[in-house]
Amino acid sequence: MLQITLAQMRRSSGRLAAAGIAIVIGTAFVAATLLASGVITRTAYDSIAARYADADLVVGATWEDPITDVTALGDVDGVAAVAPMGALDIELAAGSRSVYQSAIATADERLMPLQTTAGSMPAHEGEIALPADVADRLGLEVGEQVDLTRYQSTDDDWQQVTEQPTVVGLLDDPYGAYSRTGGAAVIDADTFATWVAEDMGADPGATEVAVALAPGAAERAVQAALAQVVGGTTDLADARWVVPIDERAAHVAASLTGGEDLMFLIFVLTFASIALVVAGLVIANTFQVLVAQRARTLALLRCVGANKAQVGRSVLTEAAILGAISSAGGVLLGMLLGQVALWVAHAMDVSVPLPDAIAVTWQVVVIPFVVGTLVTVGAALVPARVATRVAPLAALRPTDAPSASRRAGRVRLVLSLLAAVVGFGLLAVGAVLGTVAQDPTFGLLAGIAGGAISFVGVAVGAVFWLPRVAALAGRLVGASGATARLASANTLRNPRRTAATSTALLIGVTLVAMMSTGAASARTSLTEALDEQFPVDVLVSSTTYDDDGTAVPLSDELRAGIVGTDGVAAISAVAKVGLETPDLVQTEDGQLETAGAASGEPWTIEVSGVDPQAARAVLRNPDVFDGLAPGTILLGTSFAGQMSLEEGDSLVLRGPDGSASFTVAVSETDPYATFVAWDDLASLAGEPPVTEVYVGLTDSADAASVVAAVQDVVSDSGASAQVLGIAVERAEYDRVIDTMLAIVLGLLAVAVVIALIGVANTLSLSVIERRKESATLRAIGLSKAQLRGMLAIEGLLIAGVGALLGIALGLAYGWAGSAAALGVMGDVTLSVPWRDVTLVLAIALVAGLVASVAPARTALKASPVEALAAE
Amino acid sequence: MDTTVFVPVTDTDTLANGQLAVRARGLTKTYGSGEAQVRALDGVDVDFAEGRFTAIMGPSGSGKSTLMHLLAGLDSATAGQAFLGTTEITGLGDKALTRLRRDRVGFVFQQFNLLPMFTARDNITLPLQLAGAKVDTEWLDTLVRTLGLEQRLEHRPSELSGGQQQRVAIARALIAQPDVVFADEPTGNLDSRSGAEVLSFLRRSVRELGRTIIMVTHDPTAAAYADRVVLIADGRIAGEISDPTPEAVLAGLDALRSLEGPVADDGTQAGA
Repeated sequence: MLQITLAQMRRSSGRLAAAGIAIVIGTAFVAATLLASGVITRTAYDSIAARYADADLVVGATWEDPITDVTALGDVDGVAAVAPMGALDIELAAGSRSVYQSAIATADERLMPLQTTAGSMPAHEGEIALPADVADRLGLEVGEQVDLTRYQSTDDDWQQVTEQPTVVGLLDDPYGAYSRTGGAAVIDADTFATWVAEDMGADPGATEVAVALAPGAAERAVQAALAQVVGGTTDLADARWVVPIDERAAHVAASLTGGEDLMFLIFVLTFASIALVVAGLVIANTFQVLVAQRARTLALLRCVGANKAQVGRSVLTEAAILGAISSAGGVLLGMLLGQVALWVAHAMDVSVPLPDAIAVTWQVVVIPFVVGTLVTVGAALVPARVATRVAPLAALRPTDAPSASRRAGRVRLVLSLLAAVVGFGLLAVGAVLGTVAQDPTFGLLAGIAGGAISFVGVAVGAVFWLPRVAALAGRLVGASGATARLASANTLRNPRRTAATSTALLIGVTLVAMMSTGAASARTSLTEALDEQFPVDVLVSSTTYDDDGTAVPLSDELRAGIVGTDGVAAISAVAKVGLETPDLVQTEDGQLETAGAASGEPWTIEVSGVDPQAARAVLRNPDVFDGLAPGTILLGTSFAGQMSLEEGDSLVLRGPDGSASFTVAVSETDPYATFVAWDDLASLAGEPPVTEVYVGLTDSADAASVVAAVQDVVSDSGASAQVLGIAVERAEYDRVIDTMLAIVLGLLAVAVVIALIGVANTLSLSVIERRKESATLRAIGLSKAQLRGMLAIEGLLIAGVGALLGIALGLAYGWAGSAAALGVMGDVTLSVPWRDVTLVLAIALVAGLVASVAPARTALKASPVEALAAE
Repeated sequence: MDTTVFVPVTDTDTLANGQLAVRARGLTKTYGSGEAQVRALDGVDVDFAEGRFTAIMGPSGSGKSTLMHLLAGLDSATAGQAFLGTTEITGLGDKALTRLRRDRVGFVFQQFNLLPMFTARDNITLPLQLAGAKVDTEWLDTLVRTLGLEQRLEHRPSELSGGQQQRVAIARALIAQPDVVFADEPTGNLDSRSGAEVLSFLRRSVRELGRTIIMVTHDPTAAAYADRVVLIADGRIAGEISDPTPEAVLAGLDALRSLEGPVADDGTQAGA
């Protein structure tokens, strides 16, 4: 039987190869994921191990009971050098630039992970070596002085101490030992110890000491001796311990990345499993057709004595062989991809030190191999069952091969309907919970569960409804001519196969559309929420105050400088002036009462004057100033409440130059708003001092660099002012969403690619099945171009229907998910990511077209004479 | 062997109507090369007049199917010429042949070869649809009535009996009013009653609708429905019978066999 199986595989090798590619891609995905996870763990381990430089052992203790006598460790026989591990936080400044920096102590070169690229390591107090990039940022060179701020513990607080050490060396961190903390400066060991002691109030001792062994010393013996000196063991779990470096590094790496790399693994493997499900659909389809094609052979086998089990087993054996070969290929491809990715990363010189080669563990090989093979065999189960149903009699019947497709079961219909109804119901509940009930946790839970269940229902039930949608689409297309009518009729001949092929694509496209929609909605909603809360792109406000407590105004030159900065569209000046409210007094218990009705202190309110026109032009959310006009005061809800004022009430304000009555407009957006028109303020308090500036950026500006430029303008002017760049935050949100979306879409693309291979596969299988029919059509006058056109339209229909339905479903899921998750942030704006959606549809359609090219070539090989051949 | 002809060839068709629908001159088809070369057709000269129902008969492997393929432009000849009316079809390219088949030739296949997803009506009008031509409803009605398909037009092939399917196929072959219809063993897959029905329809389309039909068959009873039978053996025309009866055709075939007895085995092996 095995020989027959192998012979059949040889005959169908082309078809099997096409299906095998789907499994190759799926398993390569899994293998690459496992490799990437390994690289992440490895990178973390390497950077931790790097801190110990060339140390051999590490001695550890707890914070409560640290090692106080480090030198005693150095005296142990076989120990060449010891260095306490630890870092001190300092602040470095030069000119107007400053950075926070970790600093470590000098140590024996065997225990020092950093290297000097210029100058030397510090040897005395008053010397410091800086990471080269930090020196660069501060504009410092070797020999120059740097302002250093450290902390000294006082009785109940800390006080700042400033030093002015000389930069004696520039540092490189070749193994990334301190890349996680932004590099480290080096101070000579004695000074370091003194500063640490002053910072902590007393010598804190060491919780970790790196030990380098003398050449030839026996590690085990020294380990035991050290353990005896510190009164510990060789077990990391104890209070005091002495262990080899690798053991310690592995332990720290595990605790550092414990959650992180597992999350990464689960995250990516989710996408890998989606890709594998899609691959499974493609495989199942291929085997269905193979079985249908071989019905005669199978029947013949049954005639000559093969039993049902043998026939079924033959199909499964074939699947197992295909699965094993493809999975092995997938593992190799995955490893190749992993290695290439590392090479590319090295070539791009990424800041994180990466290993040179992938680490191939048994998991990387075995897991994808087993999973890929199992998926293939699993996908062949149904076709195998169909094969056992081929009656021996079929061998004697001259009719067409019996179709593998049966009428889809009633149970399936009921279950899929149930899943769809329950799932979409839950999804709706999730959306309602998120928006109306403002409960994103349960909303999301319900949404995810609903999404998953309904999608299973949709996919399982695809065989019932997808062909109908395809029929509808076909009818639309079919109106364009006979070729199109033929094509659309063809797609409906085998509803099961069309459904399975389209479903494979539908899965990928749905998820792509869902993620794009979710991201677009999230971005719009976040941006709107940010615009509402922080309507200003950049806010520059004075931070120095006169003796009487009023802010020092921002100079005209400074304002001109800000306007002149590249990327700044416009600015609007804001003046803050305290004005008296003659009608209100503050009683002793802090309440505001009408003057005359109670006695108390006069009440003063700080009023902001803006030019409504200019301010609107600058704000992201101009509605903020909707109520503001000459003669009105825009009061936030909080102030309005405090002063018992409502919309339309009037409020008298008095300044040095006079007083005026204002109509109250209540602002819902900012509870502490007290805005009046600039000219009104000027009439009460003279030309008002500009203490704040709203800065609006151009749409194309790179927020981070513009804010930095504005910061520089402020620093250079010597003014003491704060620059608040909400725009940077907004851009940051955008970037985070974009990056995550790009990653997720990249991962999902694999599933789409596999599904598109499935479209090509299905088409070529159909063409083989319809060999005689193609010949008939050619005989009665179908031209080669028409035959090609027919298959192209078939490809377009299968791919287009899958893609369109996927997009529709994805939009629904994306919106429901956004409503569930983002409802708590306020109104959720449902966006359609037109660009992504169009792109997905275009890719699917083009791929559908391309998928028809090879099958068309096969179909055209059939001579019209074949139509006359009796089977 | 060139003298072993049972019935002398008479050019009856040229005498009958004057117009020739199909003509072959020195038509030769060989397969393979060198030692393995096989002559399926060996310099055949034959004429088929318009408005006649002709049967091509011969034992299996005699070359009758090859002759039909070449005459219908389905296959290319090794040597010689074939004409459809005044058009020489030997030497035409695929595009021209496709057009020719679509517009001027009809086919009836042994296994009907209807498209399973189309209704009878769609199957019948398919050649016109492929050509982008309008359906002549009057002609369609005439065909449907003649073939007795009025009640079956909206059925799919799977809902039709074999005889009905073949009648649909005949209507499909005739819908474009082709110059000639080739029928390849049209009764091969039918029981005798349906077969007889189909054959009388073929004969009616010639007599009543004025069509030209060339039928390949190995069944003497079927051949007897034709106006004329061309006998072919060993790749050559071996004779012909006008206004045949089953008995006459059978006698002709028997004579062929007995005369060519010693070479019949070779002929069988040599046939395509």
